[in-house]
Amino acid sequence: MIAIFRTTQRHRGLSILACACLLLIVPFVIRGNDYLLRIAINILLYSVLATSLNIINGYSGQFNIGQAGFYCIGAYTAAILATRCGVGFWIALPVSGLIASASSVLLGIPTARLRGIFLAICTLGFSEIVRLTVLNWIEFTRGPMGIPGIPFPTVLGYEISTNFGFYFLILAIAAVALFVCFRVLNSRIGRAWIAIREDELAAKSMGIPTTRYKIYNLAFGTFWAGVAGCFYAYLSSYVSADSFTLDEGFAILCMVLVGGPGSLVGPIVGAFFLVVLPEMFRFLAEYRLVIFGLAILVTMHVRPQGIAGGGVFAALAPEAAGEGEKGAAS
Amino acid sequence: MDYYVQTLVDGIAQGSIYALMAIGFAMIMGILGLVTFTHGEVIMVGAFAGFYALTFLKTGIFIALVAGFAAAWILGLVIELICYRRWPKGPDETWLITTIGVSTVLKSGAQIVLGTEQQLVPDVYTGFWTFGGVRILHIQVFMLAVLFLLSAALWLFLKKTKTGLELKAVSMDKTAAALLGVDVRRILVVGNAIGCALCGVSGVLLGVYYNSVHAVMGGSAGLKSFASAVLGGLTSIPGAAIGGVLLGIFENVGVAIFSSGWRDVIAFLILIAVLLVRPSGLLGRKGAEKV
Repeated sequence: MIAIFRTTQRHRGLSILACACLLLIVPFVIRGNDYLLRIAINILLYSVLATSLNIINGYSGQFNIGQAGFYCIGAYTAAILATRCGVGFWIALPVSGLIASASSVLLGIPTARLRGIFLAICTLGFSEIVRLTVLNWIEFTRGPMGIPGIPFPTVLGYEISTNFGFYFLILAIAAVALFVCFRVLNSRIGRAWIAIREDELAAKSMGIPTTRYKIYNLAFGTFWAGVAGCFYAYLSSYVSADSFTLDEGFAILCMVLVGGPGSLVGPIVGAFFLVVLPEMFRFLAEYRLVIFGLAILVTMHVRPQGIAGGGVFAALAPEAAGEGEKGAAS
Repeated sequence: MDYYVQTLVDGIAQGSIYALMAIGFAMIMGILGLVTFTHGEVIMVGAFAGFYALTFLKTGIFIALVAGFAAAWILGLVIELICYRRWPKGPDETWLITTIGVSTVLKSGAQIVLGTEQQLVPDVYTGFWTFGGVRILHIQVFMLAVLFLLSAALWLFLKKTKTGLELKAVSMDKTAAALLGVDVRRILVVGNAIGCALCGVSGVLLGVYYNSVHAVMGGSAGLKSFASAVLGGLTSIPGAAIGGVLLGIFENVGVAIFSSGWRDVIAFLILIAVLLVRPSGLLGRKGAEKV
């Protein structure tokens, strides 16, 4: 396992290329099998969601539990825009993201200046409140009836109506999301987030306006949750409040924690495991969330940094450096 | 006029349940120095313990309250064992995450074991007094009495016993308490168990008052205990009691104005408003909320 990680570390460009090829070939192999395609789509969708949460929990040290709330806002924005205003997919996509991130700013203003725990509970509450609002605001969201009849998205003149098409759509979204996150995390703003995570007081004394940067961080992370919500709305062509319960938020959180917060690969690994595992053990479907909870506990007891968490590379770093020196000496 | 007085009475009665939850929450928060996410689930387990005592064992309400107390106490011990023990000085986040894990397991486990339907809790104290147009149910008075009795007992415990004093010392400053010879680990176990047990009792009252218990009742109950505790000052126990009663009143007034579907939303809005205006709460130490 470690050997794999080491190899991927050394040949980063090559391994990314290999992954890309694999992801592009897979749908052609499983083209006839809608079930497998759907799982692949779910893995990618949850990868985007877990990545969006990882931006917040893994990189700025804030603790967001209610990502499902922002996911819900994104999905409902897209659904309402598409069915009432006849807006196309490509406009709905960024707008859902922006609305989700605007609501996170509203939540961040009272809480981001306080200790992290306030944000944690408020996101938890917020997620539930969003769901309740959707259920009760019947004139606007049709309440418990949900919004059906979201049209298929059109890309470059082609209407996407099959799982095969949706796979490539979410693959593109995931790739863009990952790339943008990678660039932002390696920019000044991303380094500031990491500084806040490591030591908020120190970061503040280095001249980082911590509250403002924490709010930026929330807004950026939840933007991608909104985008994922928009995709979800188009994918299932129907949204209802039932899809965005607290449990959904816990599932996303679990993917980040099990996969490894604070690394870009971690949440994707987590999403892969936690989407595939319940599918492999169908008889355990009922126990899905129990498994998720147990997975969190086991991870914390056995491997607190997650499967592919920063620890893997941090632990390797001195060793690898030592090898390099040896090589140079001989 | 009567309508508003009635709303106030209902609010105070409901607030007494919230107050009990919030006292437990503030207690745990003070001892651990950290918020727990298992709180709602502890309330749910307490409620079910009371429910089973009332329906299957056909005991009286007092035994039901004791059952809720005991079940939640035991659960508190288990939670300490799983969530806190391994990381005595662990980073804040570890405890946060482990309590989330336990709460997920408890909640979804309860849905499987106990079913997802609401269970009907038999009536206790169905009588009421009428004053003009205002009706005061016996159960409401009973709940208020339980709140007063338990708070008095807790106050005496914290004031008069050695363990109680140690609890207070730990909640003020862990390191200093340890230096003075307090067994912090034991206090952590005891404090957590007491906090949970109080919630268990509040769970039983919640079930009896609404005549129903269900496996997912923990979510909103946990949020409300947090909101009440924040309103009162997070670690202040008298503050939590006042915060709980106030929250109950606000909520009922809000429901009277809007509709009952918005009940949880009102609690949340109050929470946000408090955080915006006065994050240290009513009786909290100034500046205690900062990083």
